[in-house]
Amino acid sequence: MIELKNVSKTYGGTVKAVDNLSLTIPDGEIFGFLGPNGAGKTTTIKLIAGILNADSGTILVNGRDIEKEALEAKKQIGYVPDTPNMFLRLKGIEYLNFMADMYDVSTEERKERIERLSRHFGMTDVLQDRIQSYSHGMRQKIVLIGVLLHNPPVWILDEPMTGLDPRSSFLLKEMMREHADRGNTVFFSTHVLDVAEKVCDRVAIINKGQILFCGTMEEMQEHFKKNSSLESMFLELTESEE
Amino acid sequence: MKNKTLLLARTLIKNGEGLNLKGSSTFTKIAILIVFAILIPSFMFGIAFVVTGLLTVLKSMGQEGVILSWGIAINSTIVFVFGIFYVISTFYFSSDVEMLLPLPLKPRQIVAAKFLVVTIYEYFTTAIFFLPIWITYGVYMKCSPMFYLYGLIVFLLLPVTPLSIASVIIMIIMRFTNLSRYKDTVRMLGGMIGIFLGLGLNIVMQNVLGRMSPEEIMELVQKGENSLVVLTSGIFPTARWGAEAMIYHNQLSGFMSLLIYAGFSILIFMILLWLAQLIYLKGAAGLSETGSKRNKQGRKQLAEEAVRGSVIGTYTRTELKLLFRTPIYFINCVMINFLWPIFILLPLIFQPEEINVIRELSQVMNRPGIEGMILAGAFIAALFFSASNGITSTSISREGQELFIKKYLPVSYRQQLTAKILSGFLLGLVSVLSMIIFGILVLKISIWLSLLILAVVWLPVLYTSLTGLLIDLYNPKLDWDSEQKAVKQNINVLYNMLAAFVPAIGSAAVFIFSLSLPAALIILTLEYVLLCLLLGKLLFTKGVERFIQLEV
Ligand SMILES: Nc1ncnc2c1ncn2[C@@H]1O[C@H](COP(=O)(O)OP(=O)(O)OP(=O)(O)O)[C@@H](O)[C@H]1O
Ligand SMILES: [Mg+2]
Repeated sequence: MIELKNVSKTYGGTVKAVDNLSLTIPDGEIFGFLGPNGAGKTTTIKLIAGILNADSGTILVNGRDIEKEALEAKKQIGYVPDTPNMFLRLKGIEYLNFMADMYDVSTEERKERIERLSRHFGMTDVLQDRIQSYSHGMRQKIVLIGVLLHNPPVWILDEPMTGLDPRSSFLLKEMMREHADRGNTVFFSTHVLDVAEKVCDRVAIINKGQILFCGTMEEMQEHFKKNSSLESMFLELTESEE
Repeated sequence: MKNKTLLLARTLIKNGEGLNLKGSSTFTKIAILIVFAILIPSFMFGIAFVVTGLLTVLKSMGQEGVILSWGIAINSTIVFVFGIFYVISTFYFSSDVEMLLPLPLKPRQIVAAKFLVVTIYEYFTTAIFFLPIWITYGVYMKCSPMFYLYGLIVFLLLPVTPLSIASVIIMIIMRFTNLSRYKDTVRMLGGMIGIFLGLGLNIVMQNVLGRMSPEEIMELVQKGENSLVVLTSGIFPTARWGAEAMIYHNQLSGFMSLLIYAGFSILIFMILLWLAQLIYLKGAAGLSETGSKRNKQGRKQLAEEAVRGSVIGTYTRTELKLLFRTPIYFINCVMINFLWPIFILLPLIFQPEEINVIRELSQVMNRPGIEGMILAGAFIAALFFSASNGITSTSISREGQELFIKKYLPVSYRQQLTAKILSGFLLGLVSVLSMIIFGILVLKISIWLSLLILAVVWLPVLYTSLTGLLIDLYNPKLDWDSEQKAVKQNINVLYNMLAAFVPAIGSAAVFIFSLSLPAALIILTLEYVLLCLLLGKLLFTKGVERFIQLEV
């Protein structure tokens, strides 16, 4: 469960990236975060992950305050950033071991999970290579595996499908579903509206740091009083803001 | 061609801001400016003062011109040695290279632009040394304006020859190390060979060109008329012509010397451009490629490698791995720990007669009653060796835009900072160890004194590690696009060297009062323990707060 209450974030004193935003994502739900470029999606996600400090408001992850009980809250989260270019000079396996040590994963558990996840994503053969030699999608997969190693209850993914091949993307969607069905929370941002439409239990559309709409697909169609696609509703919503 | 080169050079300069003041508070900015406004001029006045003294003596022997040739020679050598590092970093390991290669530019345009940028950076350092010598000489000898014009030309061309030679060496090495699958590793080895070769060449040059018997030298001294200037061409070939141009500025011979000096610089630069056109691309292409094994036995290895480790242990090890594997970091932060001993050892290899000097030195070192001062000296050396590696003073900067990773890890900032201190501390110890081994083997310092030094000399290393990290926390350079900006153009390394002056006061006291070993030991240990406790406390309170505030 993720709870945001009146969260605001201003960059460098001028750009108001997140504006008094409140949002609750209950357990067992896949939540899609949509919005045009520069709307504030990444900023919101970074606030939840504890990377940025909010100017005001509170953020709870499974009941733990990300500022006051930072370490406890962070242990709840598995965060996949929007750019997977990190630790390029480490070998895949070294990166995974690093993450596992940071999250206190036992030897047995990490062995089993590294083996299973890298087999799933077809990464077993390249674990001994440096991440620098990976393609964009491979880098995303290694980051994803690293995040899943500690079996976090709350997944926070920033545009996770971009760059993944169809099979991996399908696999990830399945995993998200399973994870939510086990009573956990999945929060992800995306520009691919088809994905959002098919996978998400609920979506929010954000623009200029404010939530324009938040609810299920059915609620949205009711709201617009027509049976149109998410795409046309998205366009209508964000255009009227101009 | 010219225009594109200049345009490129301008862009490259704009892209790498100098002082790293952006984002720091007004207070910090003012403090920094004051430090510079006081420090640099006083340093230059110091040089001018010494030069005036030397000139008085030398003029009485008719050898005053030697000041100029020394000035040029020493400056050229400094440019050459640092140029090797600079050239490796900017020509090859800078990330803008990958961006430049696809552009419709000739290789020699890229090299010329980068050369120009490095030259401009070098002017800042050479100015600090050369300006006071030049002006003092001019004023003291009551020279005509022509002298200053000649001096300006000499100054402007000064970095060209040493930098060109450094570039040629590096370019050839990089051409042949770009073949391997394990590029990073081979290139780092190549860089090391380049540095060795460069330093070796410099010493050989001194040897071949500058070798004279004491009788010959005496003869030269007695001849007067600045005859000693000839000698310095042994230190750096262009030094003699530059100096002669300035000394004889109102004669035809001076003009001829200036022509030779300028001609030689331009010739070497042309050779560099010609070579660049031929081999630069082959050396620079595919910088980011790395070997890939596609290991089919992944599973077996996995069982061996997927083992749990402690948080601080793994964190520290990862910091070290990144330092060793990133060529720029390796050259600037790791290599430098081994460089000091090499600096001292190389002359011994190439110039065996120096052994006598060492022998005398070792006799001095083993005189009874100066153990306290040896200890104090070891503390100062340790202080500056470990401050110069810049590991902790760039450890936040090196994170760059990846700093966000460290913020979502469920690891307390205290632990993270501890691991960062540890990585700098461990590598700092290496340089201190090599210093002690040098002391035992070459200076024949007694084993028990060495052991005693070893037992306490980690304190200054810890001190600089702490100050470095604190400085970098307060003034990190996170907004970089190429690794070299994080370490090479990071002013924090310099600040940390300045911070190293503070506890050096203790050592100075030992020297001034010629304290005995027990007294020195007590004073120094106490001084550093107190300082380290204080700094550690500061790091875990203010430093952690600062880390929390940092955002990228
Ligand atoms: N580091 C930063 N410094 C200053 N402003 C920033 C920074 N990062 C983002 N912003 C600004 O904050 C606003 C929100 O950016 P954010 O990255 O959250 O958008 P986003 O919804 O993730 O966009 P995209 O779909 O392009 O990923 C934008 O106006 C952006 O210019
Ligand atoms: Mg984004």
